[in-house]
Amino acid sequence: MAERHKPFDKVLIANRGEIAVRILRALRELGKRSAVIYSDPDRAALPVLLADEAYRIGGAPSTESYLRAEAIVELAREIGADAIHPGYGFLAENADFAQRCADGGVKFIGPPPSAMAAMGSKIESRRLMRNAGVPVVPGGDDPLPSQEEAAAFAEEIGYPVMIKASAGGGGKGMRRVESPAELSAAYRAARSEAAASFGDDAVYLEKFVERPRHVEIQILADEHGNVVSLGERECSLQRRHQKVVEEAPSPVVGPDLRQRMGEAAVKAAQAVGYSNAGTVEFLLDADGNFYFLEMNTRLQVEHPITELVTGVDIVRSQIGIAEGEPLDERLAAIEPRGHAIEVRLYAEDPWRGFAPSPGKIVRLRLPEGPGVRNDCGVYEGGEVTIHYDPMIAKLIAYGADREEAMDRLGRALAELRVDGIRTTAPLFQALLADEDFRAGRLDNDMLDRKLAAGELSLTPPPHLRKLAIMTAALEHLERGGRKAAEAKLQGQRDHWREAGRRDSLRGSGWN
Amino acid sequence: MELIVKHSDGEMKVKIERRGGEFNVQIGDQSYVILSAEAMSGVRSLLVAGEQFEVAVRSLGEDRYEVTSSGGVETVQVQDPLTALAEAAHAGEEDGQRRRVDANMPGKVTAVMVEEGAEVTAGQGIVVLEAMKMENEIQAERDGVISKIHVEAGQAVEGGDPLFELE
Repeated sequence: MAERHKPFDKVLIANRGEIAVRILRALRELGKRSAVIYSDPDRAALPVLLADEAYRIGGAPSTESYLRAEAIVELAREIGADAIHPGYGFLAENADFAQRCADGGVKFIGPPPSAMAAMGSKIESRRLMRNAGVPVVPGGDDPLPSQEEAAAFAEEIGYPVMIKASAGGGGKGMRRVESPAELSAAYRAARSEAAASFGDDAVYLEKFVERPRHVEIQILADEHGNVVSLGERECSLQRRHQKVVEEAPSPVVGPDLRQRMGEAAVKAAQAVGYSNAGTVEFLLDADGNFYFLEMNTRLQVEHPITELVTGVDIVRSQIGIAEGEPLDERLAAIEPRGHAIEVRLYAEDPWRGFAPSPGKIVRLRLPEGPGVRNDCGVYEGGEVTIHYDPMIAKLIAYGADREEAMDRLGRALAELRVDGIRTTAPLFQALLADEDFRAGRLDNDMLDRKLAAGELSLTPPPHLRKLAIMTAALEHLERGGRKAAEAKLQGQRDHWREAGRRDSLRGSGWN
Repeated sequence: MELIVKHSDGEMKVKIERRGGEFNVQIGDQSYVILSAEAMSGVRSLLVAGEQFEVAVRSLGEDRYEVTSSGGVETVQVQDPLTALAEAAHAGEEDGQRRRVDANMPGKVTAVMVEEGAEVTAGQGIVVLEAMKMENEIQAERDGVISKIHVEAGQAVEGGDPLFELE
């Protein structure tokens, strides 16, 4: 097993925004020196202001800055950083980058490159998981060259089934089949669509999971072979496959299911020789069956909700693990306490189809008070640019139970003010007023479905128009008064300036 | 002071007067007595019959204001009745004529989908603008002819830059 490293003195953060801030906080708490990289537009961004050291890595596009693997490792060596924390996104799941770090003698705070590579391939990871006894969605990646074979296989795994294109993606060549009678038409249609879209008509079959939930398990693994589960997070609320609200624990996972999912996740991690923090994502159906989806081999955006219900600082743990520390034995017995909900604040305009809303944040008031945590990557007066992910902050509410957590989230959203740009905050207020959300009746399509059906009330409150009219009228009246005063003052200034100009001309001898 | 306030789907006659520390505001046929205090630049606390509203106001040029309060944002235009009248007359002349479409945010043009002179129908995509890893199709809002295209694929634009003209 891995050797024990000497504790890190200095760590380079290869990321930006709120996650760079989160990592900076852990480093400062541990008394370690922090260094960040920045792109040109991020020169004075929040992580730079909070860091001990900051180094320019390149221009605005991420390909010229935060994705420059070689330059980042080179920089770490130059400045004497012992380790690199990749955060999430950018290079966080890039096995080549992790390998490059190892080759350069800089510790990568994350799993070994081999584990990243194994989990990086959908087909390979599925095969590995099946062999390790981790449940995967029944079906096969093997192409089914004839309709008869498809029918026999569908019978074996049970209807409804999904026909998918082997070369596929984006829903092309995908057909849901309810009964044997529908199979032949769907099979032909899927093959011709697959051929037209990908130039390859190979298709395979999978069991269709109805109204699934996305439930994931946070694991921690040290470099001595110990793996623990920190319980689940429910992340079913997604808009176009992008998570927007997460909570822990899941409203439908009890101690027994939690233990079984936790054990499956631990097996998954062990099967690839995993170490450090990771997340095993599962689909959970209405009957409590769960199926391996994929493993995220990095720190997750939504890690704070697990931190709040377990009391474990995941980023601090990541650093300790990378330094060679063994896991605390007490972690194995951990049970969630209370309830946490996170909402992702995106710079998007919920009234205009969630179009990007970049610009200057002219005012920012983050909520405070009992049970509220903000993981924010911006400040008032700062600029949200078009170059990077639009998530500017995460708002997390904690309560003794789900009801209290929801109440606190609602209260926090009422305190929040972000002016200058639009954010997704109104979406969360609408969700908190939604019966299904309040009852914990969630599934992966719920948010898209409700938005498409206009079921979430994103309409501004009825008094807003009157309020806007009053405010604008007031502003106009006072501005009129100010303008008159300014015009008078400007007249005087012009007079003085003219007099001054004449003086200076005289003084310079030009007359 | 009498004003015409235009909002997203209509306009209102508004009368506003200062009386000591208070404002009397008449919107349509309803009257309100308002107390206003500036909390910080661009942020006010309004007390309307004791009910408190925190509002943020941002000027968008000469006479347009964006007002944000809990749960929403509304853009309104404030004009004196004469200006409003003159503008209405002018708008009448321009009806059915050229309309310039500007970028509503900074971004990069990733595609121009028609050529100058093309006849287009309402809802047809004209230009694709990318910002924050997302593509937004800017569409023709009515049938017409694209008389001018101001951008080309790959070009960076600022909010307010002209994209194309529809006649």
